[in-house]
Amino acid sequence: MNLSSRAAAICAFALALATGSGPVTAQSKPEDGLALGRKMLAEDNPGDLWVERGQRLFTAKRGPKNASLEKCDLGMGPGVVKGAFAQLPRYFADTDKVQDLESRLLTCMVELQGFKREDIIRTRFGTLDRDSDMEALVSYVGAASNGLRMNVRLTHAKEREMYKAGEYAFYRRSGPLDFACVTCHGESGKRIRLQDLPNMTKAEEMREVVATGWPAYRGTHSTVRTMQHRLYDCFWQMRLPDLGFASDLSVALTAYLNYSANGGEIKLPGVRR
Amino acid sequence: MKGVSQFMSRAAASVVGLAGLVIAGCAAFPDAETTAKNTEQMVTDAHTLGAPALIRRSVQDTSQRACSMIGGSEGSAKLSQEQAASLVKTARDSIQYPASGKLSGDWKTGAQLVTDGRGQRIVNGQVEKLPGNGALCTNCHAMDPTEVNAGDVGPSLVAYGKQRGNSEAVARYTYERIYNAWAFMPCSNMPRLGTNGFLTPEQIAHVVAYLIDAGSPVNRQ
Repeated sequence: MNLSSRAAAICAFALALATGSGPVTAQSKPEDGLALGRKMLAEDNPGDLWVERGQRLFTAKRGPKNASLEKCDLGMGPGVVKGAFAQLPRYFADTDKVQDLESRLLTCMVELQGFKREDIIRTRFGTLDRDSDMEALVSYVGAASNGLRMNVRLTHAKEREMYKAGEYAFYRRSGPLDFACVTCHGESGKRIRLQDLPNMTKAEEMREVVATGWPAYRGTHSTVRTMQHRLYDCFWQMRLPDLGFASDLSVALTAYLNYSANGGEIKLPGVRR
Repeated sequence: MKGVSQFMSRAAASVVGLAGLVIAGCAAFPDAETTAKNTEQMVTDAHTLGAPALIRRSVQDTSQRACSMIGGSEGSAKLSQEQAASLVKTARDSIQYPASGKLSGDWKTGAQLVTDGRGQRIVNGQVEKLPGNGALCTNCHAMDPTEVNAGDVGPSLVAYGKQRGNSEAVARYTYERIYNAWAFMPCSNMPRLGTNGFLTPEQIAHVVAYLIDAGSPVNRQ
């Protein structure tokens, strides 16, 4: 799509968001309006533009090594994107690490294309002035699993180690606000202000959240955000220090959460506030 | 016979032991101690930006560690009676009061604080620059019944003062509960806003006034 169709899609999003969070009457709960807004958005998801751009970036010869990502092994064999999201994070023998989608793409962009790791990390989150290649690539790879079900396995010892680390981190309270993930995500049907909070200790809610969640087009950010950004944002709200991109801690939390979503039918990118 | 049966049971035990080893090698999760050690290292490695004082925010104090049990949250926190008593004592001992001695301040200043969700957030190793932290209350609590934009992770505080009055005892209880909720309910989801230095004693007193003053929107309806 060209720039004007992108602008139109974003306007449609803004309109739906405004409609969804408009005046709330005594008869309707505020979340009903928000749910309606999200439903309207899902029918015309601006995130599809990031999927298209991600596909172009994946197949284009880029970087100092003038190579595409068609030899990038995301766990399904070189260049195979279908089904990759469904089984991540997983263990990769070449790096001897458990990696999520973002950290694996980072490895491929450095090893295959010759990009500098610090450059990819510096531009990992898009701004209004600069699109992020990472956000586009994650959108493309995520959408390539649409219709499949989450199927994260814990067959390698390091995968089990990461899963348990993620569980430990989920319940670990720290910082000036004493928060752990479970503080806000341990009960169903709760909100921070008007924002619904998924209960991440309930598999049925996790299947929905993970399989239709991140990557997701965020209206208030006018871009697609990835799971790494979602976690970074949570740490920021918890008043903790910056969560390192592709850090083991971030991958551990994703391994724990994605595993609990096994069976969820993938529909990406999602749409969020 | 005794010797034989001893041999048999030893053999059986070693078969069980071998099976245990095989399971441990193939499919077992690491034990709790290993997981704790691994994850604490990951926490250290995950945070590299900012001054040491900011990085240290991710280090737990004793009370936070006690309130981090896996599978727990405030409702299901499985504390022994001793642990609970110790957490309550630590919390109670930490409570300090405003120099003025006034535990209920100005509700209008409180009104500004309760809806302010900002303060102390870190981006690229830098803390957001503000004259003071917001009190974050409406992130989780309904307070003014006409305000829609309020969360419900914590209980509604609508008509808080109307129900309890504004006596010195109510002011003191409310002040202490905000200063350190764990003095009343160990491992509560509510942050220890005073003890952690997130709010000053004077700010807390303003929030107390907002909750108990008869003129406050909390108690008007």
